[in-house]
Amino acid sequence: MVGNNLATSVTQLPEEILSKVFAGITHTRTRNSLSLVCQSFYRLERKTRTSLTLRGNARDLYRIPTSFTHVTNLDVSLLSPWGHALFCSPITADSPLLAQRLRNAFPRVTSLTLYVRHPQTLQLLLFNHWPDLRQLRLVRWHQRPQGLQPGSDFAALFSRCRSLTSLDLSSFYHWPEDLPPVLSANTAATASLRRLNLLTTSFTEGFKSNQIESITSSCPNLEHFLVACNFDPRYIGFVGDETLFAIASNCPKLKLLHMADTSSFTNPRGDEEAGEDARLNRGTLEALFSGLPLLEELVLDVCKNVTESSVSLEMLSSKCPNLKVVKLGQFQGICLAIGSRLDGIALCHGLRSLSVNNCGDLDDMGLIEIGRGCSRLVKFEIQGCKLVTEKGLRTMACLLRRTLIDVKVASCVNLDAAATLRAFEPIQDRIERLHFDCVWKENDNFGHGFCNFDLNALDGLNGSELMDSFGRDECGEDTSNRKRQKCVYGSEADDSFLQSNGNSNGYYGNSWDKLQYLSLWIKVGDLLTQLPSAGLEDCPNLEEICIKVEGDCRGQPKPAVSEFGLSILACYPQLSKMQLDCGDTKGFVYTAPSGQMDLSLWERFFLNGIGSLSLNELHYWPPQDEDVNQRCLSLPAAGLLQECYTLRKLFIHGTTHEHFMNFFLKIPNLRDVQLREDYYPAPENDMSTEMRVGSCSRFEDALNRRQICD
Amino acid sequence: MGIVEEAHNVKVLGKGNRYIVLAHGFGTDQSVWKHFVPNIVDDFRVVLYDNMGAGTTNPEYFDSERYSSLEGYAYDLLAILEEIGIDSCIFVGHSVSAMIGVIASISRPDLFHKLIMVSSSPRYLNDVNYFGGFEQEDLNQLFKAIADNYKAWCFGFAPLAVGGDMDSVAVQEFSRTLFNMRPDIALIVSRTIFQSDMRQILNLVTVPCHIIQAEKDMAVPVMVSEYLHQHLGGPSIVEVMATDGHLPQLSSPDIVIPVLLKHIQLNIESTSCQRNYNTFQNQDASSTKATNAETSSLMKMEADL
Repeated sequence: MVGNNLATSVTQLPEEILSKVFAGITHTRTRNSLSLVCQSFYRLERKTRTSLTLRGNARDLYRIPTSFTHVTNLDVSLLSPWGHALFCSPITADSPLLAQRLRNAFPRVTSLTLYVRHPQTLQLLLFNHWPDLRQLRLVRWHQRPQGLQPGSDFAALFSRCRSLTSLDLSSFYHWPEDLPPVLSANTAATASLRRLNLLTTSFTEGFKSNQIESITSSCPNLEHFLVACNFDPRYIGFVGDETLFAIASNCPKLKLLHMADTSSFTNPRGDEEAGEDARLNRGTLEALFSGLPLLEELVLDVCKNVTESSVSLEMLSSKCPNLKVVKLGQFQGICLAIGSRLDGIALCHGLRSLSVNNCGDLDDMGLIEIGRGCSRLVKFEIQGCKLVTEKGLRTMACLLRRTLIDVKVASCVNLDAAATLRAFEPIQDRIERLHFDCVWKENDNFGHGFCNFDLNALDGLNGSELMDSFGRDECGEDTSNRKRQKCVYGSEADDSFLQSNGNSNGYYGNSWDKLQYLSLWIKVGDLLTQLPSAGLEDCPNLEEICIKVEGDCRGQPKPAVSEFGLSILACYPQLSKMQLDCGDTKGFVYTAPSGQMDLSLWERFFLNGIGSLSLNELHYWPPQDEDVNQRCLSLPAAGLLQECYTLRKLFIHGTTHEHFMNFFLKIPNLRDVQLREDYYPAPENDMSTEMRVGSCSRFEDALNRRQICD
Repeated sequence: MGIVEEAHNVKVLGKGNRYIVLAHGFGTDQSVWKHFVPNIVDDFRVVLYDNMGAGTTNPEYFDSERYSSLEGYAYDLLAILEEIGIDSCIFVGHSVSAMIGVIASISRPDLFHKLIMVSSSPRYLNDVNYFGGFEQEDLNQLFKAIADNYKAWCFGFAPLAVGGDMDSVAVQEFSRTLFNMRPDIALIVSRTIFQSDMRQILNLVTVPCHIIQAEKDMAVPVMVSEYLHQHLGGPSIVEVMATDGHLPQLSSPDIVIPVLLKHIQLNIESTSCQRNYNTFQNQDASSTKATNAETSSLMKMEADL
């Protein structure tokens, strides 16, 4: 009897229970710490670790750890040097042995992510392949090797793996004509394919109609199908009516259909005034929806107008009862908002997530109707809708207060930063993820009253009346319709309204309590410094921020101030993770004409002040010089990044000199640094890259030689 | 791969029986020739390398003693040529590397069939009767900025000075690549460049020199190429291209590439005009008193040859 043991510790729990506990832990560093406690914890941790991303240097592959034998999800696409041709550079007599060693170290792999610079890597790895391999994700940002036979990237794959269920080529640059013949030649293997992701963002042209038909007919059991294609009727092989008919008839089990025009990759913010129409008529859309009764997620990013879609979308709600996620690009007339009748997309009551891009006729009435009809929306995104204003958005936010936590507003002319933030005031304490454009207007009135509203008396009201009841400045204005009644949504929500209603004409607490993730878009030359004063002063739980700077530096005057304003983000105490994407900022690296600024000056402007934030993880995309396909870090940028003393992980999506990489060795706790040129075309050879293989290895050795205190 | 080849990232591409060696200027690396290389790989063996101190090389190999003068770089070039086993090459040098080629050709004229000098200058600082393009005050501001970068770098702060901060446009143009090097190397290199005066050795050159110049290069005034033409010991020819900036092979490849190809393919003819220029070489520097108008008309004649 262990009567003298006053404390029973967790190590005394039986193994079965401990394994269940460990299996629930996903955080990698916690797992690493667990495995250091004692031998039995080590064994258990290794037994329950199912997912691993390897980050060593490929030349050390023979030293790969062999203790992770229970890993089922393996990612080897990030080995250093990034983009390395695994086993193939150079290909030696040892290469098959190394491939075998990798397989032996992880015998239970079912899901694999792999950088395939050259098809030989895949051939070597699959030679004696994993019997249970079901999911494969290939990555390649480099160019397709010269002289490759069509389809040779995939031939080995389907002939060897007969029971693959998922193939993801969204980050794998290939030619559209490579895939369909391989699929049709291996119909026994493709019958088991359930998920196929062909939304390859590096494509400029996408799959043609006949290729899509061929692919879908080879894979009749597809449940998830994502494809980059072209809806423009002027192009050969554009997606039109026949293609959609074919998809519905070939793959009736589809739960997720995602078709995006390739122009949405190159020009994500799009033009509102792209006048061309797509060749998709109402009957086709209705046939598509009827043919896919199991549909849960639908994305049609058309980039050409689809007119009068209201009736087809009504079909959607009746034919696809499981529909949860919808994204529509350039569908016009998605809900007509006539009177108080719900129509169009607003009839899809079960929708959890709705994204509307470039719907030129969606106005405030439409928004309110969507708010009334899709009452369970958790995520709402709107982009390029020029008619919506703050009032409509605010009313919609009030209507969706119970569920809405993820919102995005981009490129809407009437919704600048302050207006967007004001519009979301009613759900300020609930929003967890937010995107808006940092468009600052001169004459913002930052004071804005909140008013009473009553959710029960809504049914009879039409849109404009609703807007009146939510949008009025004065509180206490009383009509018979707006008597205060008890809110059906729960008393605590009501209480907070009632409390805040106590202040007339002031806004109630500026705190975005639940906001964890903030995404911003800003034009090059604008400053970030106005962010807190626009309405985002207090975000106690904001952990991650993603900033995209876009525009053309060429011809822009030198910035008048020295700082873009990153230091303003120090007001968010929990901020630890940042993505700073200046990749779509274009300029001159060396060849600026006299009087114009080099990108080194712009990088200094953008990054000035970043050292004052206590960031843990940073992803940075340097600005690019398109003429020479160069995205590289300049001296001031390297110096400013080096000032982030709390960084643990730094990823630069571009290239840089070895001398500059060595700056980062001064950051004490830096553990993981990599140059990831994950844009197409990734620098291919020494004519267009600064970082040679030798430099990369030297740097990583120096990084790993340092003492790690945690 | 020998240590020299590895240290300088030497690449030998293409096929042919003649060698072309491409040398980049400071602050850049061999990728500055990226637009040009595809045009010559089919007919020549192209040798590319990175100068020591370039961002792509191992910083440990930069010896501040050796590289305190341009001779150090010339020795590197000769070592590369020896390692590859080249007995005669066409050397294309940009900016300061052209002078490095000049120095190398003085010690080993047998190795160089001809020198093609792009945007080069024997001396940058102005002097009595010599217009190099830079005044002492401009250079002082440059040195101070680089020294500030160096101090910041030593103390672990961000080196923040960039070329665009300089007042003089000439300094901006020339130094934009200098400010992209590691601060201690930039300090040494900038002193080496701006304290060097190659004018005295020009007459020791015997190999043919093709001087290629941008019309509007703030760092290399057109006068300089005329000076070179008059003072080089061997036959020389000048061509002024209608380009802008100090890195024409990057900013205007469509103009530069045909010019370079022409100068690679064709040799300098000895004509009566040519001989006239040869007599000038025996006179002293006062011949540079020729006005701008005269020199530009003289150069136009050269270009037409």
